[in-house]
Amino acid sequence: MAVSHLFLQNCTGPLMIALQYNDLFDLSISTSTNTDALPKGRAFTFIKAVQTVNERLVDQNKTESLLFEVILIAKECSEEIKMKIVESVKHYGLEIGKFYFCKKEELINTLQSNKVKLFISTDRDDVYKALHTGIPAALLYDQVDHHVLNQLKVIFSGEVIGFSEDSLDSLSDFGFGETQIETFKAAKICIKEFAVLIGQMRRRFGHENSPLCTCVLTTWGSRNICATAIKTLREWGLDVDEVYCLAGAPCSPILAVVKPHILWDSGLHNMRDSSAPS
Amino acid sequence: MSLDPVLVMKGQDPMPNTCPPASNGDSKASWEDSKDIHENTAATKKPKSTNLYTCDVEVDMKCHFMKGPVRRARKVEGGIFFPKPENAVTIAVSSRVLFRTEKEQIVFEQQGIEEYLRYQVEHENEPFAPGPAFPFVKALETVNTRLRELYPESEELFDIVLVTYNHAHVGVRLINTINYHNLFIERFCMTGGTSPIGYLKAWHTNLYLSADTEKVQEALAEGIAAATMFMSDKQIEVSETQLRVAFDGDAVLFSDESERIFKAHGLDKFFEHERENENTLLDHGPLKSFLELLGKLQKKFYAKGHRLDCPIRTYLVTARSAASSGIRALKTLRAWGLETDEALFLAGAPKGPMLEKIRPHIYFDDQMFHVEGAAEMGAIAAHVPYGIAQKYPHKKSTNTSK
Repeated sequence: MAVSHLFLQNCTGPLMIALQYNDLFDLSISTSTNTDALPKGRAFTFIKAVQTVNERLVDQNKTESLLFEVILIAKECSEEIKMKIVESVKHYGLEIGKFYFCKKEELINTLQSNKVKLFISTDRDDVYKALHTGIPAALLYDQVDHHVLNQLKVIFSGEVIGFSEDSLDSLSDFGFGETQIETFKAAKICIKEFAVLIGQMRRRFGHENSPLCTCVLTTWGSRNICATAIKTLREWGLDVDEVYCLAGAPCSPILAVVKPHILWDSGLHNMRDSSAPS
Repeated sequence: MSLDPVLVMKGQDPMPNTCPPASNGDSKASWEDSKDIHENTAATKKPKSTNLYTCDVEVDMKCHFMKGPVRRARKVEGGIFFPKPENAVTIAVSSRVLFRTEKEQIVFEQQGIEEYLRYQVEHENEPFAPGPAFPFVKALETVNTRLRELYPESEELFDIVLVTYNHAHVGVRLINTINYHNLFIERFCMTGGTSPIGYLKAWHTNLYLSADTEKVQEALAEGIAAATMFMSDKQIEVSETQLRVAFDGDAVLFSDESERIFKAHGLDKFFEHERENENTLLDHGPLKSFLELLGKLQKKFYAKGHRLDCPIRTYLVTARSAASSGIRALKTLRAWGLETDEALFLAGAPKGPMLEKIRPHIYFDDQMFHVEGAAEMGAIAAHVPYGIAQKYPHKKSTNTSK
């Protein structure tokens, strides 16, 4: 999937994001009767925020084509659950473009054939697997309370963007394993197109009162890596709103204040305090 | 307002840097490997008790062999690992007090945010001049260097975080400026307009310095020591080897209870009250915890035989008088297990000349009148907007002796 060299000047058509149903709905709580909708899951605030962005985009331009489109993937579902999913989506008034019910091993194919611009999941392994096959993927950050902000927050990894191609192999000196380096490299290739599209969307709004907020988070890289990331994103057409540089400080307290929805992983696997709780 | 940037700290940096600082933020590839990685303090492979230090040493060795001594100097001098915020003394500074940004403030106020951001990007490669908190931050780094020499594995260091509600557009310029001045600040939060207060707590902030009184008051309300700093035209030279922190007593180290008596009932009532309550401890004020932390770090130097040349020195500068009302203050400090290296009881005399002698890197006072007086003498003063003095500012005509 050759996405790295496409600088899409004026993208038309939807920005497709794929989500898994077990992130959208909480399956750990068992519903007593068959008529109850599935309880809200970790992706709920994300999808509401996406809808807010779309509404504001359409407000500004009725013929806007660069809108978010969310597709829902469900692996290994019984017929009963499939019905429940579709009903629950209707119940909450969620704008889901398509439903895909597939087998576990078909996930990647489904993502590829739909040319998703982003796959988000709370499952880190799913994200890494997707990245390895060239599908842009990021973590869905678990918004602890279901208080809906009227803003979609996207965090880009300062390391993935700011760390130069040449230095990538030296990552092994700093505790990165082989697979982790591959994941990092894969993310580096995928992130650009997504950033370009978000940049175009972000430019539809002003600096204040934007329904879309973009951030750079550098967790283990230096300030210069961070500066490089900001400048690179700017070259790609995205002026980020917020910047955080942690220099090794634990992420979770900061992320709890930032409250992002989409979080591009910075690659260091052994970070205990990171984004999505396992 | 004169924009004369008189550099207060002259001379060499505590850490000689043989590589020219990258003034536009571009790192050469050869720098990136050692300088650009911060070992994560929570990495699982290290045994809990030693955090990340063993790993740090391994990295240093590799860098040394692979790339040469220059980078090793930067990493090894006490180890450029950054402590976990909860273990360190975290000082959060806003960009407006660390650097001078008056010109840009005017652009923002007069021409709005879009023009302000455009201006910042246009001037991205021009570093800002040092602001009122700059000498203080430099002095903190000096203390850190000494601490790292004596306790290379300890996380009990000063940790400086740049917390600003500036937009990321200014980010590159701020990073360029940090590089230019060779500051060891790798942690920052640019919140793009949202309040930085939530982040202060997330960073376990022990002291917050800002140019915005409202933000400082919010921080104080959250129980975080905080003060407002202002740029003054005159700047006296401060020490490069010793961090000097001076505190007012009432409504800074102590609560404002006595000041309330003074404001409401006058000087005589104040004396009476203090005499009657000599053996009752004063309640604590917003900066007490910071003095406590400074004391803890001082003890670390004493423990290694550095009492006489301790790089931290603290001062109490109070309008109370030694013979009477000052006793209660001293008794309170003693009961808290705290002490200042020097206690200056001015009995109402102006504080300016005394501060000029002490030359603190920062002096905390709750009354703007004193802060302004200090600034006139060129001393670096910070306003703690706490207590009764904010409602009833000092009237120049009244007798100030306490």
